Amino acid sequence: MVEAFAVASGKGGTGKTTGTLALGMALSEAYDVTVVDADMGMANLLFHAGLADVETTLHDVLADGGVPVEAAVYERHGMSVVPCGTSLADFRAVDPARLREVVARLAADTDVILLDSAAALSSRAAVLPVVLADRVVVVLEPTIPALSDGMKVQEYATSYGTGTAGVVFNKVRDEEAIDRIAAKAGRYFEGPTLATVPESEAVRAARRAGEPLLAHAPESRAAAAFHEAADAIDVRDYESGAVADRFRSAVVPESP
Amino acid sequence: MRLPPGRLIRSRVLSDPRTVFADALDRELTGYATLESQDTLLLDGDGNGVVTFEDGVPVVVYHTGADRGGPRALADLAANGPYRLELFATEPANLAAVHDCEAWQVPPGMPAERLAGDQDLAERTRAAAPDGRTSDTDEDDEASGDRSSDRVGAVEAFLEDEAKVEAIREQAREDARRRADEWGFDVD
Repeated sequence: MVEAFAVASGKGGTGKTTGTLALGMALSEAYDVTVVDADMGMANLLFHAGLADVETTLHDVLADGGVPVEAAVYERHGMSVVPCGTSLADFRAVDPARLREVVARLAADTDVILLDSAAALSSRAAVLPVVLADRVVVVLEPTIPALSDGMKVQEYATSYGTGTAGVVFNKVRDEEAIDRIAAKAGRYFEGPTLATVPESEAVRAARRAGEPLLAHAPESRAAAAFHEAADAIDVRDYESGAVADRFRSAVVPESP
Repeated sequence: MRLPPGRLIRSRVLSDPRTVFADALDRELTGYATLESQDTLLLDGDGNGVVTFEDGVPVVVYHTGADRGGPRALADLAANGPYRLELFATEPANLAAVHDCEAWQVPPGMPAERLAGDQDLAERTRAAAPDGRTSDTDEDDEASGDRSSDRVGAVEAFLEDEAKVEAIREQAREDARRRADEWGFDVD
């Protein structure tokens, strides 16, 4: 079984990468989880996951004549992690459409794929994870631009046949107002509010330490909230081979 | 709302309202900004947003199209960039009458936080605010003059504006379809 989720926000700074790794670690208690940094132009998951020094990344897999994806899979914190490099020159050399084949190969051997997606909808490479995923998890801050951009992500997802697993309100400072905001936002989002995650110094400390939040501060309220979000996701039981075929035959053409 | 005369110090089209608040703070501007949406597709294309500043810190927000001020006016300003921004400097005394309208006031950090989505800028703005205006944490809308009986923050006001939200969503659907053609995605 496997289901692929794009963790997306449409706007930078909402804590999407922190959320991707936190959801991944929480889900890894029940599932075999693979996390892919699919933010190919602005990768940063490697810094969050203690993988800043690794040799082989997704860029090497997606390059012309690239290495097999297995060479860029690292076992960390109970998950399989595929980091992406940060070199813009390397990014320019990749064919983002090959992500489809990468996801198809990973799908054969995992339960859950989380694609950390670009904080933009401005290019084909940025939107591709949303196209490939079965469903999106939308990470929102309770601000107007974040909500607006989150809605745009959902509309893109829906337009490309991708569902919405739910929304996570992150960096919540006004815990009294968030329930009202979440209820009102719920009218516009297809999935449920999976959790509201409080603004937390633990998140910044984890980032500085180069560790996922759930490894660095497992007892923090933010970590507990991400556990709650993971518990609220009903991972669907697609048959792996069929899913791999679906990714291979996905709507993306071969050449960029 | 009657705006006092001011000296034009900046005029440009920008996509992100953050620039307005960062610029005013950096300049320690006393004056006001007018923001005119350039996107006539969205519903609030009519009317301008006005934000006044004292020493770079936002005081009053007002939207001429919706004819309302305070946190709700922040929602009227939201998500319909690009904007034409004009920034004016004026004497503090010229703004006294406008600033007296408590219902139009917003907490110092609220525009940066709720409209621009920039916590760091919001913190910097709060730090620059005078003592009399720093009691708010911007989580407390009452500090804005937005009475507890009328306690709808900018984010909630935005979400309550169903026509506006639907316009944003419809625009996104159209963009998604148009780009699917450009990018070679096969969409039904």
